Amino acid sequence: MNRKTGPLKVSKTIAGLSVIMLLAACSSGASDAGSTEEAAAPAAGEACIVKVGVAGGQTGGLAYADVPHLEGFELWAEQVNANGGIDGKFTIETIVKDSRSDITQSATVAAELLAQGISILITSADADPTIAAGALAQAEGVTAVSWFGSAPIVQLAAGDHVFSNAFGDNTQAKVLADHATEMGYQNAYTLGSPDSSYTKMLPVYFGEAFEANGGKVVGAGSFSMGQASFSVIVDEIKALSPAPDVIMTPAYEPDFPTFIKALRGAGITAAVLGTDGIDSPTTLALADIAEGVTYTTPGVLKNEGVMGTFFTDYNAKYGKDPETIYAVTGYELGLTLEAVVTQAQSCDADAIWKAWANLEGAQGITGKISYKGGDGMAIREIALIEIKNSERSLIGTFSPDPATVPKAQL
Amino acid sequence: MDALISYLVNVISLGGTYALLALGLAVVFSVLGLINFAHGELMTLTGYVLLAGILTGQQFWVAVLIAVLACGLAAVLMEFAAFRPVRNASGATLLMTSFAVSMLLQVLFQNGISARGQAIPVPPWLTTSISIGNSQISKVQVMSITIGILALIALKIFFDRSYWGWAIRAAADDFEVVGLMGIKASRLISFAFLLSGLLAGIAGVLWVVQRGSVDPLMGFKPVLAAFIVAVIGGLGSLTGAVAGGFILSAIEIALQTWLPAGVMPYRDAITYTVVVIILSFFPNGIFGKRDQEKV
Repeated sequence: MNRKTGPLKVSKTIAGLSVIMLLAACSSGASDAGSTEEAAAPAAGEACIVKVGVAGGQTGGLAYADVPHLEGFELWAEQVNANGGIDGKFTIETIVKDSRSDITQSATVAAELLAQGISILITSADADPTIAAGALAQAEGVTAVSWFGSAPIVQLAAGDHVFSNAFGDNTQAKVLADHATEMGYQNAYTLGSPDSSYTKMLPVYFGEAFEANGGKVVGAGSFSMGQASFSVIVDEIKALSPAPDVIMTPAYEPDFPTFIKALRGAGITAAVLGTDGIDSPTTLALADIAEGVTYTTPGVLKNEGVMGTFFTDYNAKYGKDPETIYAVTGYELGLTLEAVVTQAQSCDADAIWKAWANLEGAQGITGKISYKGGDGMAIREIALIEIKNSERSLIGTFSPDPATVPKAQL
Repeated sequence: MDALISYLVNVISLGGTYALLALGLAVVFSVLGLINFAHGELMTLTGYVLLAGILTGQQFWVAVLIAVLACGLAAVLMEFAAFRPVRNASGATLLMTSFAVSMLLQVLFQNGISARGQAIPVPPWLTTSISIGNSQISKVQVMSITIGILALIALKIFFDRSYWGWAIRAAADDFEVVGLMGIKASRLISFAFLLSGLLAGIAGVLWVVQRGSVDPLMGFKPVLAAFIVAVIGGLGSLTGAVAGGFILSAIEIALQTWLPAGVMPYRDAITYTVVVIILSFFPNGIFGKRDQEKV
């Protein structure tokens, strides 16, 4: 999932990059200061503290995703520490700093965290701040992992120490395209936004995969995040010939509810495909309007089976049920770290990076998670869900052949 | 023909909301010289009160009424708590105060309610559409246009025929003279905030019903649009706020309708370029007062 806050993106990015360069210089100085600490670091296999720095959005536009991720992660950390740490000897210390969902602030707090000698950095559920903060971690040789930034470009843009807990947008677009083909849809309309990598590239990946399957993209619309009305776009869809039988959009809250209301309000009944950003109670609360909407997500949020245990533990800690799958994927990032540290037997940043890059088959709640050969993105199953009677209904889980997935683009 | 009907419907629907928002800003600017950037958070508050009303079983229109009144009350409280203590400070201080109030409310909404958006369950009849010729218009748009026009007519009557309406119009021309005529500044400012809050409430209802959800950061885009509208029309000009609303709406909808697909990602940039061109011809806004120089 990625989120940008619209028209300020370009100026924010430029400002962010300027600050990153400045902070990189500052934090490299911090690294020198910390080299003594590194020299005194425990040998492999000896008990130590895994310092986890979290540069996420506790406030601002990414808080809706970053906060539940952190809740899930802190639940995991509490459970691990209650059992004496990972493998009984590697305890977790979490240091949280609010990036305010801002690219520049993400880099600032990442530099502060790196100066504290963290073993690993966790960043927002968005590629843009992840790249900004990840570039600093890369320079320090520290692994940076995004909560769930799904634009498959984090390593292309920031380097091989940067990862994401999410599957790639190109992969989820492939799953949607295959579903559209299987349903017999022939003409698609895509609706994206230039305001973020996520909303810009997902329709492109979908169109590429759908046309490779033999379908045709008959129209491609563009919206601005947070725009007041989708009536003009709906009019454009109505005027298309041939009429699309499927509409794909990565729009999420608050744009997705606005769009689907305008679409159905105008009497357009074409199937609608969405992405992980709409896996929330807000979409389910749209009732009849959202009926039949199909989307990709890491797993089905249901109080049963393995996830039922998570529900019980989460409720015991926070006094509420998890609202979105992001709490689960936050917990899963903890499980991934557990597998990595178990393998590395160290709190050393370099050892953790090597283990992370070569990780295969870590057991999460929604399934197995690997990173080896994933170009920084988590290799994990993608659940395809259809909304039926305002509830999530699983169509199936998919792991597309990487050879058939559209190539990641910057 | 159908395209023209759709265009006009979209312009009137969006323009009416923009006009109400900008009027809310202009009314306060008239009496205090302040652009209240926390105006957007008043809209957000309206959304949450509307949601609470619906979830507690109130009739939709009752919930709407409660939400609008709550917004008006919140605006008065905002003036009393945040702006009254700094009323005589510089414009920059007032502006910073409005940003601070805006940020404070956003964080309160995020931490006190939820960082995630909340769906607004509107009545099913609002989710369908009606036909005009070959064009279909959603009932939300019909409601938006109807309420927008009715609110603007009511405001026109209020400004033309009521004591407080005259006072605010007079204050827009010269606030000091209004004071000399015996109208208490505190009461006039409180009344202006009340009116501004009610306008934000009406605009907020139209906004959230059209969007289908309310979230803590919802107010930013509309208040930015309202600010631009108020500048186009002429800061402090009530007529200008209405005109500016429809002008910005007409530009935005025209670009969205007729801009080639390849250029569409630049729509916002083109919109603001057009705004700058308008301002280059009307530096004080279309209905703004010209700066007077004494020789």
